[in-house]
Order: sequence, then structure tokens, then C-alpha cells
Amino acid sequence: MSAIEMLNPEACECHSPQEQRIFDEQKGKKDKYYDTHARVFDLIAKFEGQTPVIDVERALYFTQSMKETEGQPLVLRWAKALMHIAKNMTVEVEDGQLLLGRAGSKIGRYGILYPELDGDFLDIAVRDLPTREQSPATISPEDAKIVMEQIAPYWKGKTYHEALNKALPEWVHKLTYVDDEGLISRFVVNETSSFRSSIQWVHDYEKVLKRGFNGIKAEAEAKLAALDPASPVDQADKRPFLEAVVIVCDAIVLWARRYAAKAREVAAVTTDPVRKAELLRMSEIAEKVPAEPASNFYEAVQSQWFVQMFSRIEQKTGTTISNGRMDQYFYPYYKQDMEAGVLTEEKAMELLECMWVGMAEFIDMYISPQGGAFNEGYAHWEAVTIGGQTKDGVDATNELTHLFLRSKREFPLHYPDLAARVHSLSPDEYLWDVAETIKYGSGFPKLCNDEEVVPLYASKGGTFEEALDYAVSGCTETRMPNRDTYTSGGAYTNFAAALEMALRQGKMKKYGDEQLGVKTPDPRTFKTWDDMWEAYKAQQDLFLRATFTQQYIVTKVRAEHFAQPMGSALHDLCMKYCLDLHTRIIPEGANFGYFEFMGFGTVIDSLAAIKKLVFEEKRITMDQLLEAMDHNWVGYEDIQQLVKSCPCYGNDDPYADEIGKAIDRICVEFAQKYSPEMGINNDVRYVPFTSHVPFGKVVSATPNGRTEWFPLSDGSSASHGADVNGPTAILLSNYKTKNYGLRNRAARLLNIKFTPKSVEGEAGTEKLVQFIRTWCDLKLWHLQFNVLNQETLLAAQKDPQKYRNLIVRVAGYSAYFVDLSPDLQNDLIARTDHDDL
Amino acid sequence: MSTFEDRKVTGLVFNIQKYSVHDGPGIRTIVFTKGCPLACRWCSNPESQKPQPQMAFNPTRCISPAKCNFCIPACPYGSIRAVNGALDIDCTHCNDCETIACASACPAQSLIVYGKNRTVEDVLHVVAQDSIFYSRSGGGMTISGGEPLFQKKFALALLREARRRRIKTAIETCGCVPWEAMEEAAPLLNNILFDVKHTDSEKHKWATGRGNELILSNLKKLLETFPDKPVLVRTPVIPDFNDDDETARSIGRLLKGYANVSYEALPYHRLGTQKYMFLGREYPMGEVSLPAGVAARVQAIVDEERGAK
Repeated sequence: MSAIEMLNPEACECHSPQEQRIFDEQKGKKDKYYDTHARVFDLIAKFEGQTPVIDVERALYFTQSMKETEGQPLVLRWAKALMHIAKNMTVEVEDGQLLLGRAGSKIGRYGILYPELDGDFLDIAVRDLPTREQSPATISPEDAKIVMEQIAPYWKGKTYHEALNKALPEWVHKLTYVDDEGLISRFVVNETSSFRSSIQWVHDYEKVLKRGFNGIKAEAEAKLAALDPASPVDQADKRPFLEAVVIVCDAIVLWARRYAAKAREVAAVTTDPVRKAELLRMSEIAEKVPAEPASNFYEAVQSQWFVQMFSRIEQKTGTTISNGRMDQYFYPYYKQDMEAGVLTEEKAMELLECMWVGMAEFIDMYISPQGGAFNEGYAHWEAVTIGGQTKDGVDATNELTHLFLRSKREFPLHYPDLAARVHSLSPDEYLWDVAETIKYGSGFPKLCNDEEVVPLYASKGGTFEEALDYAVSGCTETRMPNRDTYTSGGAYTNFAAALEMALRQGKMKKYGDEQLGVKTPDPRTFKTWDDMWEAYKAQQDLFLRATFTQQYIVTKVRAEHFAQPMGSALHDLCMKYCLDLHTRIIPEGANFGYFEFMGFGTVIDSLAAIKKLVFEEKRITMDQLLEAMDHNWVGYEDIQQLVKSCPCYGNDDPYADEIGKAIDRICVEFAQKYSPEMGINNDVRYVPFTSHVPFGKVVSATPNGRTEWFPLSDGSSASHGADVNGPTAILLSNYKTKNYGLRNRAARLLNIKFTPKSVEGEAGTEKLVQFIRTWCDLKLWHLQFNVLNQETLLAAQKDPQKYRNLIVRVAGYSAYFVDLSPDLQNDLIARTDHDDL
Repeated sequence: MSTFEDRKVTGLVFNIQKYSVHDGPGIRTIVFTKGCPLACRWCSNPESQKPQPQMAFNPTRCISPAKCNFCIPACPYGSIRAVNGALDIDCTHCNDCETIACASACPAQSLIVYGKNRTVEDVLHVVAQDSIFYSRSGGGMTISGGEPLFQKKFALALLREARRRRIKTAIETCGCVPWEAMEEAAPLLNNILFDVKHTDSEKHKWATGRGNELILSNLKKLLETFPDKPVLVRTPVIPDFNDDDETARSIGRLLKGYANVSYEALPYHRLGTQKYMFLGREYPMGEVSLPAGVAARVQAIVDEERGAK
């Protein structure tokens, strides 16, 4: 998805539709889809390429209100703060937009601040954000002054991050942070809870569409009236919660109606009769929703948009708030309007794409340097889920499902993040459309597998109906919106560092003499593979203990710092028990947390190389290996090549995969044993975002031939260039390193790369569908494809080791690009006939 | 032959490639066997031609004798030396060498041996690893080469055993084999990919080393003896050899009237040039290339002539 900067953009022998589009744009051609999507193209043109601006209104009004309400129950304070924001935040109507609702006053790309979360970073952020390499943002001098004088000072000593820093015991703290203030991550047992109030989340949007906030408010009022006047719990706990719900229902309705008024105001001075009519219609709709139930498609879309934007104002959810099963909860309105002849596919798509534009303007800002490193390139995962099964377990796809896929191929930006649920009976009509969209080449949709998620959820506390109705949430995770409860971002645990410590008696090259890990014996004294394995296990075990203790403390500290009245109002269990969603344990709820396994491929390949070369074949000694690594392989290239030629994860090679399965098993067994007493599922996950890069920066050379400070392997993917047996082997290795008998696992992220040529034509689509069906039957959690070309091929030529698995279509068969001679590579790159290879 | 006998049969195999999606239906694994009666000038698998294992050297992968010298002491003939910072290999004894110690010692896959004797059991173990993909895609195993039926006993045992294990089978054949081999293999195959390079025997001989009489006669017998068998006839379209309209028409005429035949014109490509260099051979085709659109034209003419849409 990166911008393609080509030396010669015409040189490629086959372009993905995405690449073609970029080339056309470079030549100044009008976009193929401009005429059918003119409104959204014009909206985008106004902000494309703009550096995001920090908008301080949310933080300012939030802080003002919180100052006034100290000492009151947190949920009530939060609701009052939201009311204060709803009353005062600037409302603007964007020219050309059909939807109303922004989380700030700045038109264009903007981000907002959450000082309650990490306000102790604010002064650093205001200074560094404009020049930061990863995801920069600008702030006006006046707003910077507001931050420094009116926002940041109040939060000093009050933020979640500071509280956590103080609460961690010393032995966990030193694996978590480098410094006493906890501003610098150790990147060993890394906490991620301080850059989001919760991990990703999905609301039950359908509830708003069907009942409106007035309906929810009425429910809260009825409950208030029914409280036992003599009950201390009812009066001290439930009453403030229910009052908060009433306030927040009023707040979002007030906010929406201010937009309605603003739209009327703008309409009054608009001369173009078409736009004037649009504005008046928008105004009418915003007057009605989200207060009342939606009665048509337009109202449903506007109502949902208000909810998700207000949710972004309410708190910073990890990966931005997800959108749930849009093709399900919008479908009744879509079908009704289409059957009545009052809506067309084009009009429906235009409304949805107006929403995508709004998403693209809002930037999920990570102000801490660590948050930035984890989420490079303004990362966003607002996950719109399509496909899958109904609550009854039958296929759920409909006409709207296909409309989302079509929009993904035609809308020019990478919003929204689209997730396609797949199950064993997904119809061909759907999977072919999914495959065609994947071939578009921008990596969408990502796939999520019902055959893995549904049984796991049913086993972990959901009913079958709830499990079948799950929505994708954030990057790869999933949610049952009325059964799941909140959890904090989990530890990202660097097991490649555990490996390094096993070879350095509990120390790391990066941190010199600091004894961070277990003082295991000098590896030169290891007699057998078992000695090596035990030393690694000792370090891994320490890391797991730190991971779990850290998470337990995190969940307790979090509940004291955050509340979420609107999110709670939309949750059945919160309303039933009158508890805020941030409450540590909610009866009947299921808390799906996870910790991240960093460096899976790196660790497996390293242990396999040691096992084979040092202990089985005895081709090198441990001393030789350590010496080579100490020199970062310089002057020891023979040993580096030797370790690289050993069995690697990602090749369907049992030698490596059995080690992977054993490592995974230690994690799931630990989770099985200690999760219950914490009241959460702290399960093992393999999804690093972009963090395998910063984690690699603390790990010196590893026995798989990796050089020091180089990125770790990513997620459950193989080490860079280690998977040489093609994509089927990658899936099978993934399958064979899972412990299906235990349920203490969360998502695994899997990336596969294809070139456009290797999936060309109808035959290519068919094979892609077959590949997806096999993945589904292998019960792997997630899968996403890169279908790319050209710039990748050039990059592959420059750095073949990193692209060893790139498949290119050649004549009667496919071949690995890097296995071709430089001449042929040039030949493939230089061909201009797109049909002739 | 029983399964116990078939499993033990050995053959010379030089590669097993998974996730092949262009050589037969579905997702497939290709087993490449060594030995071929032809020596086509454009052959993209030159390492497949000789029916013995072959040493090769890929200098770009070599990390240089200054940094690595596992191979030098490994050679039992002392034929590998470092000269001016590069490896100098005297291949006089390579053909007789049974140890292939240099290739085993090389950590960089720079010294390569093409061809290894493997049992049917061993080959099918690798092929079966992807069986879940075959069952979901209608794919299976394709045997290719070289000419797979050049090692007739091995090929037949492999096909029989694959069918016992319910793995679907296909062959890529040059057709230049005794009819009896073809006749025995055909019932064991789900799909046949049959190359027709030229209809003129003299020209065929010039380019491949053999005339085409046996090939064309086998094709005719195959199509008439096994009329229900799906056969894909393919022509590598080679510049100034078979890229003219008349040759295309004559190929089309051969195929006319057969219901289960399909046809594909494959554009000439220069893959394999690198492998000639590894083997220390000149690439016979020099610098020629096929202009754009030629293969599509051949395809259209053949299809028109054979009466296919």
C-alpha cells in the first residue's frame, strides 16, 4: 500500500488494478472511477497528502470538566465531560459531505488528544510530533499553548501511565522499562496498555439503529426508578452508573442536533438548490437520529456514524473503534429502500463512501514514541466486517456484502479496513468476489476464519449464537459485542530476547552488564540439546511470569482510570448489572486479553540451527557460534550461511515445526494455569503490527543467521527469506505449530505475497479461491495477501534474501523471482506486452 | 506390481516443486525427473537432460573462498581450489564421483548436485504433504522432466502408487517414448500435457536432435486409444522456428475432431539461461526473443484450424 515511486512505471509486465490506477494518475489521466464517485473524489482532493493537524478541543473540554468533578464516581465524571464536549465542541459542515459528525473542528486530516491516558508525554509530543519520522502531525502555536498551559499541567501525576509505572514491582518494571519514569520501553516485556484505554472494541451498533438513544435512556430511567432506596449498592454504585447513561444519551443527541442546526444554518446561505436540498435533508436526519430508531438506509448510516465518532471522542480504543458487521445491521434498511425503489446501488455506495472519507480524515494519533513505532504510517483498523454466518449458523452474505467489496475496488483510499469472514460453506459467489478484490492488490479484504473463531468463542464463554455473530475488531481480533468485556492492551513479549539471554546467562548485548534474565549456565558448558532447551525455557518462563503479573496489575490500574458510559450503555451486561465496561470483572462477561509472542520464526530457526549443528551433527561448536554472533557474522560468513541452511519455520519441515509447537505449548499451558485466577483470558497471540522492527532493535545477532538489530520475524510468518517452499508450506507450518487441544490462543496474523501475474485471469481467481478454502479447512485464524509487482520486483532484485518467496508467473509455470537470473529479472521487469508471458 | 514393490522403486529426481498452479488443474506439486530423449535448443531445464546426477556451480551464491572453504577439503579428488579469490573447479572426476561431498559441505547452495535417487515412497511422502490443497482444488501430482517416461519403471510405479493414495496425476511429456510406455501410463493419468513442437520432421530434428515421427504417431494413437482422456497439447512458440502461420495451421489440423483435446501456445522465454551457466554450457538460443503477441496469434490459428472456439 505504500506509495509507488517508480523509476519507470511502464516497465512492468502486468499490473494489479491498483498499480494501473497509480500509473494513470501519474500521467494525469482522470481516474477510471471518477465519474461514478465524483463527490468523494472531490472531498478527498481537499485533504490528500496533508500532514494531520492536532485538534485540541476534545482534550481541552474534557480536562475542563474533569477539573470540576473531582471526587465523584468516575463514570459520572466521564459522562459529564462528554456532555461538556457535546455542548462546546465546534460543529462544522464539510462542503460536499452527506454525513454530519466530526471529532474536532479542523476540516481535513486531524487527530485528537487523550491526556487522561498518556498526558505525561504531552509536552514531549507537542515538541516532537511535527518532526517525528513516523506519522508526524502539526499543531498551531495557539493550540500548543493551550496544551502546555491548560491541559498538560492538570494531568501531571494523574495519568494512567504514571500510575502503572508506580504499580509495577521492580522485577517486572526492569523488563518493561529502561528508566525509572517509564518513558523508555525496554522492548523485552513491553506494556502496551498506556497507548490506548482498551484494546480494540466493537459496539452493538444495531441497538442504536433499532432503539435510538432515547430508547436506551428510557431503559436507564426505568432502572433508576426501580432502584431500591435502601440498598447501598443501588444508591452508591448503580445510581451514578445509570445517571451517567442518561447524561451520555442526552449528550450524543444534543451533539447531533447541534449539527442539525448547523446544517440548517448553512442551507440558509446556500444558493445552489441541489446542495441546499441536501443540507436540509441532512439536517432533518440529524434531528432524528441517533435519538430515534433509523427508518431508512440514509438514517441508519448517519446514526452509525454519529455513534462511532462520539465513541472516538469518548476514549482512545486501540486501533480505532471497529465497525462491526455492517453488511448485517444495515441490510434490512438497504433491502427495504431498494425494494421500495427509493435507493440505488450508486446512492448507497456514495453514502458509505462519505463515511470512508470521514474515517480517512480522522487520524488515530499515537503521541508516545513507542505508540508511534508500533503503528507506523498512521495505522488504522476500523474493521468493517462482512460475510460469515448468521446467528443460526447459515451463510450470511447478501447484496450489501458485494457492494462493500465493489466499493473496496473503486474507492481510492485504504479506508475502511475491510475484514471478510469465511466459513466452510461460504458460497463461491462470495469467495470469487473476495478473491477479485484481493487481486486488486491493496491487501483487502483480510480474511478471518469462522472455523477457528466460532468454536474457540463457544468454548471460552460465548453462546453459539453469540460466537456465530462475532465481529472482527481491530487488526485480527474479534468480538462478541454483548459478551466480551473490556480488557487492556497486553504485553508484547520479546522471546527472541529470551533466546539471547539463554545464550548470555540472562544478559543482553544491548543492555551490557544488567542482569535482566535468569542466570542460566554458560552455554559453552551445555552437553546436550536438552541443556540448551532448559536454558531457553528458564528465560521464557521468567518472561511469561512478568507478562502475566504485568497484565494483572494493568487490568486493576486501568479500571481506576477509565470509564466509558456510552460504550457501556450499548452493552447488555453493563446495563443489566449497572457496571461500567471498564470494570475489571463483569458477571457473565468474558474478557479476551492476550499477550503477544514476538519473534516466533526467529526463535524457532535459531533453536533448530543450534540443535542440528552444535548437538546433532557437531559441525560447529557452541563457542564458534557465539564468537560468530559476537562479531555480528563479520568474518564468519561461512557459519552464517551454515546456520541459514538449517531447517526453518515456514517450510512444512517437522524438524523446525516441532520446536515451534513446543514453544507455543509452554505459552498456552501457562495461560491455561494462570488466566483463571486473574479473571481474564490472557492468551497467546502472534500479531505484531509494525513492532517486530523496534523489538529487533534490542536483540543482537541470533543463531538463525540474523544480524544484530535487524527486525524479528513478524507474527506467525516465517523469518525473512526463510520460507522457500511456497505458500502451501507456510500455511501447513502454521497449522502444525498450533496446539489445537488447548483453547488458550488468540489470533495469528499471516501474510502471503503474490504477484498479479500469478493470480491472473479467471483461472488465477479460481486458484486463489481454492487456496482460501484450504486455509479455511486448516482452521487458521487470519490471512491477508499482498498482490504486488514492479517496485517490489525492483526491490527484490536489490535485496533478494528478503524476497525469496515472491512468486512470478513465467510461461507454463510459476517460479520464484529471485531464482531467476538478473537478466531474466530485467527481462520480466522490462516487458511491455501484458499478455505475452 | 504390489504397493510393497512399487514403493521401493527408485528414480532420479532433480526437483519437487510445490504450489504449481499452471501445469494441470488445481494446486499441484511437480516431480521433475532426469533424462530426456530430446535436447531442445530452448530447453529451460538443461539439468534435466542427462540421465545421471550432475554437478553445477552457481558463483553468485558462493560467499568466496576467502570467507568460506568447506568445499575445498571435502572434495575427495582435490579438484576444488581457490584461485584469485574465486573457486576453481576441475570437473574431470565429477561424473564418477558418488560422494557429492562438496555439495553437502557447501552451506550456501552454491555447489549443487542436480539429481538424486529417490524411492517412490520418499517422493510421495513429500507430494502428500500438500494433499489437503489437492482435495480442495482438484489438483494433484504432475510428473515432468526431462521426459518422465524416460525412467519408465519409476514413472509407472510412482503413478500407480499415487493413485492408490488417491492423489490425482498428470504428466508433461515430450511424446518421444516407445508407444508401450505411453500406453501403460495413460490409464494411470487424469490429465496428459503433450508437447508438439513442429510438424516438419527435419526442422524438429534440427532443433531437438530427433525427428518427430514417433511423437506424432504416439499422439495419434493416444487420442484414438484413449478418446476420453483429457489431453492438453502445448507448443512452445520459438522465434524463427515454429512461429509461422503455416506451422500453426498444420498443428491445428493434427488436433481436429478430437473432443477431449485442448491446446495452449506457450511463448518462448529465457528461463534457464542461468542454469546453462551453472552447468558450464553455452545457451544455444543466444539473444533471440519472441515479439509480443506472437504466441496469441499461434493460439488463435491453431484453435481456428482445429475447430475450437
